[in-house]
Amino acid sequence: MKSGTLELIGISRRFGQTIALDNLNLTIGAGELVALLGPSGCGKTTALRIVAGLESSDAGVVKLKDRDVTNLSAHLRNMGMVFQSYSLFPNLSAVENVEFGLKMRKVEKGNRRKQALELLELVGLTTQSKRFPHQLSGGQQQRVALARALAIQPEVLLLDEPLSALDAQVRTNLREEIRRLQLSLGTTTLFVTHDQEEAMAISDRVGVMSNGHLEQIDTPDVLYNNPASTFVANFVGTMNHIPAEQQGDLVSIFGKSIRVKNPNGISGSVSVLVRPESIEVSRAAGSGNAKVITRSFLGASSQIICQTPEGAVIQALMPSNGSGDLHPGEDVALSVMLSEVLVAHV
Amino acid sequence: MKKSLSIALPSTLAIAALFIFLPFGSSAEFSFRSYSPEGKLMHSFAPYQWILQQPEFMSHLLLSFKLSLIAVAFTAILVVPSVAWLHLKAQSFRSIIEVVTILPLVIPVVALSIGVQAAFPDWLQSTEYELPLMYVILSLPFTFRILDNGLQAIPLKTISEASRGLGANWPKTIIFVIAPVMRSAVAGAFFLTFALSLGEFTLTSLLHWDTFPTWVTSVSQQNIIGAIALSVFSLTVAFVVLLLVGLFSSQTKKRTEVAE
Repeated sequence: MKSGTLELIGISRRFGQTIALDNLNLTIGAGELVALLGPSGCGKTTALRIVAGLESSDAGVVKLKDRDVTNLSAHLRNMGMVFQSYSLFPNLSAVENVEFGLKMRKVEKGNRRKQALELLELVGLTTQSKRFPHQLSGGQQQRVALARALAIQPEVLLLDEPLSALDAQVRTNLREEIRRLQLSLGTTTLFVTHDQEEAMAISDRVGVMSNGHLEQIDTPDVLYNNPASTFVANFVGTMNHIPAEQQGDLVSIFGKSIRVKNPNGISGSVSVLVRPESIEVSRAAGSGNAKVITRSFLGASSQIICQTPEGAVIQALMPSNGSGDLHPGEDVALSVMLSEVLVAHV
Repeated sequence: MKKSLSIALPSTLAIAALFIFLPFGSSAEFSFRSYSPEGKLMHSFAPYQWILQQPEFMSHLLLSFKLSLIAVAFTAILVVPSVAWLHLKAQSFRSIIEVVTILPLVIPVVALSIGVQAAFPDWLQSTEYELPLMYVILSLPFTFRILDNGLQAIPLKTISEASRGLGANWPKTIIFVIAPVMRSAVAGAFFLTFALSLGEFTLTSLLHWDTFPTWVTSVSQQNIIGAIALSVFSLTVAFVVLLLVGLFSSQTKKRTEVAE
């Protein structure tokens, strides 16, 4: 495979008064799948469109395999793209859609048909190859679009929220399939999504964006367990905000002092950011520091929602087999199972 | 409810059919009339033979055909790409353009013909080739709407971006992607332009050009049966053309479905 490194260096883009991208720097290694994750309007789609050549940048350089492609026309970039909305050519059958890029590259007819059918087989649509887009389901259409993008043996695969229009079940299947294909073909991939679960599930690295810049880019594990900022901490996964008092680099929470990760030398009222699974709930009749409000059984784990006497609502996630006797109204003792916590200043 | 509908629909259709076929049938009957030397009414092909004997018949018909085809060509070169561009790059102007395109229906033809002609350079004003350009403007209210509706159903922007991403430059994107998906709308626009141009009388007459419709009118002054025969003839031709277009488009539709 001819995949290469993709580099975005100092990319900026404005639309009138709005800053869509503000000096964005991003490097995607050869064969790597990087997701850009962020709320709508954070600039992630603009970044992808600039890489594709469908949008121009005000400043900055896009490099593909050390070659400057910033001013190269979209049709010369050799990047495969899958769009959020269905983008198949309605007048062409599935196999003809997949062939399109090869036809533009003047691949001889028999040869390109063969390659297109192989790709349709790869995405599991052999029997639907002669169908037209309107005869295919949404998931099938996106599979064809994926096959079409891969047919040109792209140096970079660009996925612009390719799953957001699909049902939950189809979405999960297709994302696994995208990852499987991407790994086996070793295609450098940029994946834009607003769905954190999707991004975390299949990416080598996830870049969290806000207001046109990258807040943090790292592996899903690091992002989740070690967020660099409160924005990332809040955006990725569920987060409790527990009111507490900070003194120096220590914060007191549920009667225990824990080291603060970003002390900033501030003392006073803060919110301690703790994930639900880092909170331990134990029965403590009469001597607890919170009361159970509800317990939701989620299968292997259960979600316990508690409230402290001060009124803070705290969410905990624990194995179901140890939480069966936590009934609403029960006195419980909460504690944080962390040696270091992130705080947000209130 | 349902019962009244089931009566309403056929009766509406029947009235519509009467409205169309009664005048047509009467005209057809009239167009075959001729009178024996004793003044007796007969039916024969004489009026049609008379048409063919008119040296001006063919020349006017061919001129009208030629001008109509040129109007279609202008629609293809000017209107189709403009509407496509509007959908691709200037969606915000669509509603304004929609209003502007209805003007040819609102402005009286007298005002329109003089106004538009004044905008043409002198060399164009002095040839009959100014007519096709006027025909394009006159058919805009219809052609714009056909093309606009056709494009509304297609995510033109996304599929043209997809095409470019797959290695097609703009010309190839237009030929292989945009044109094919617009085909039926374009065919409709072409047909309407052609039919409108072929039958256009008011503007042509106002500008003192002599095409098939204006010739038919002048014929009616001397030979009313011949003029009606001409009208029946052109209506039949138009009907056949319509039928062929209809057959053609339903055939391509079938082909798409069979391909499953």
